[in-house]
Amino acid sequence: MDITRAKIRDLRRSLDSREIGAEELCAEYLKRIKEKDKKVLSFITVTENEALQSAKRAQKMIDEGKSSALTGIPLAIKDNICIDGVRTTCASRMLENFVPPYNATVIEKLNAEGYVLLGRASMDEFAMGGSTQTSAFAKTKNPYDLECVPGGSSGGSAAAVAASFAPAALGSDTGGSIRQPSSFCGVTGIKPTYGRVSRYGLVAFASSLDQIGPIANDAYDCAVLLNVICGHDRRDATSARRDVPDFTEKLGEPIKGLKIAMPKEFFSDDIDPVVRTHVTNAAKELEKRGAVLVDCSIPGLKYAIPAYYLIACAEAASNLSRFDGIKYGFRGEGRTYDELIRDSRSRGFGEEVKRRILLGNYALSSGYYDAYYKKALALKQEIIKEYNDIFDIADVILTPTAPTPAYKIGAQDNDPVKMYMADICTVTVNIAGLPGISTTCGYTDGGLPIGMSIIGRRFDEQTILQVANEWETGFVPLSPEL
Amino acid sequence: MAVELDTIKHLCELSKLNYDEDGLKKVMGEMSDIIDLMDEIKSFDLEYDDTKDGCEIRFCDTREDIAEESAPTDKLLSNTEPSNNCYVVPKVVE
Repeated sequence: MDITRAKIRDLRRSLDSREIGAEELCAEYLKRIKEKDKKVLSFITVTENEALQSAKRAQKMIDEGKSSALTGIPLAIKDNICIDGVRTTCASRMLENFVPPYNATVIEKLNAEGYVLLGRASMDEFAMGGSTQTSAFAKTKNPYDLECVPGGSSGGSAAAVAASFAPAALGSDTGGSIRQPSSFCGVTGIKPTYGRVSRYGLVAFASSLDQIGPIANDAYDCAVLLNVICGHDRRDATSARRDVPDFTEKLGEPIKGLKIAMPKEFFSDDIDPVVRTHVTNAAKELEKRGAVLVDCSIPGLKYAIPAYYLIACAEAASNLSRFDGIKYGFRGEGRTYDELIRDSRSRGFGEEVKRRILLGNYALSSGYYDAYYKKALALKQEIIKEYNDIFDIADVILTPTAPTPAYKIGAQDNDPVKMYMADICTVTVNIAGLPGISTTCGYTDGGLPIGMSIIGRRFDEQTILQVANEWETGFVPLSPEL
Repeated sequence: MAVELDTIKHLCELSKLNYDEDGLKKVMGEMSDIIDLMDEIKSFDLEYDDTKDGCEIRFCDTREDIAEESAPTDKLLSNTEPSNNCYVVPKVVE
């Protein structure tokens, strides 16, 4: 069976019609990973034995007529989502040998479906980065050009889907970490509304911004995965008590009359002309299919990067204070308690993580709190207001997902400011807690994918999936040569 | 704004991080550039209004404070240096 860019719904049909067995399908993906992932490095851990065992259980479910959407479907899971008994490293030396004693809620939901875990996808260390080059274990490469980054922080998840090592994956998104790698790797990824998916068992980076979401070959498959992972969870106080609709329901409905806003700040000269051209052309195509394009403005974008980094790093400094080398994680050396903690943290964390902890503590420290952290919270309120104003006149917002296509590995090394500025197109969605989806809208002359993002009202994932699905109808994605 | 060495040392203390002399110089340069970027926010002239907080994203759905069975102790201790159901740490009081 050809598994190249295979869709979940097609695999479902093949499994249910006995065209292929769950174990055989799992073995196909494992074989491809074994043969090709040496070049891409999308996995930190491949869980071959567990995969074959769960495939066997899945086949039993299928044989007994108990299959559901994801029974027997192989998936890659980002290495910051806890899986009971499976090493979960966050791509950090700090958690190199950490084996969680429990499952994240999303994993419990996938287990109930009988999914098959192929392995743990690489990522930037503690999800801090946009290139997957801060991973301590697998610095993932872009399947479309092995000299380029796959984006990040969910770069392993996006690269695994693009390279057909898995039909879909889970990632997490704090400032664009699902959408930007999806854009760089030519796949589709959605960050759900804050509160839509339980964060229980997701290793925390910035708790007010983090959200788990799917990466897949198209919007339809993202909807299939969302149907499974969404819903209230009593173990996450920020998970919302909202009904979970069938996210596939509106797919295929015409977009006639749908208003698409295009804030001018997202199309400024800071955006690479090739990206601007492709996203604008996609907007024109959607207009031809009946959508109405609306001009608008989001002035707060000017301050979005400092606002995001101040909030995210302040929360990260607090969240990562738990890593002291005592209860779990890398243990350093020291004659005293203080020496032990300092040595554990200094040797366990990588340079980017340490920089963000320092920045977070700077923003929260006495004398700077009002000038930085409280100002960032004021900006958050302003950005939420500006988005609300846009949604008074439009149904969705269209922007580039990243200012550039994937760049060469090493191009942003040793330049954190340049690296932070590259997040300009995605961070406001997290600040405002909105849902956003990235889908491929074209390719550069060199064959690198370009992504566009569709942003929706809070808890209106259905409409952004509808628009992404409409765009993908008729769009022919290119598969990378490996 | 150049960040002073004393400020970096203070942040390292707060963050429980060690740097050697060269590392301190390097991170001082990087933090100066990063804080220059963060300083842009100072020209934004609105103030934070805490009465508005939680209006947009309201989640205060805490569960009942009832003791429930947790993960088994041996599983919880499997990621550290356990001894008789305790964590082993260096001597704190001399």
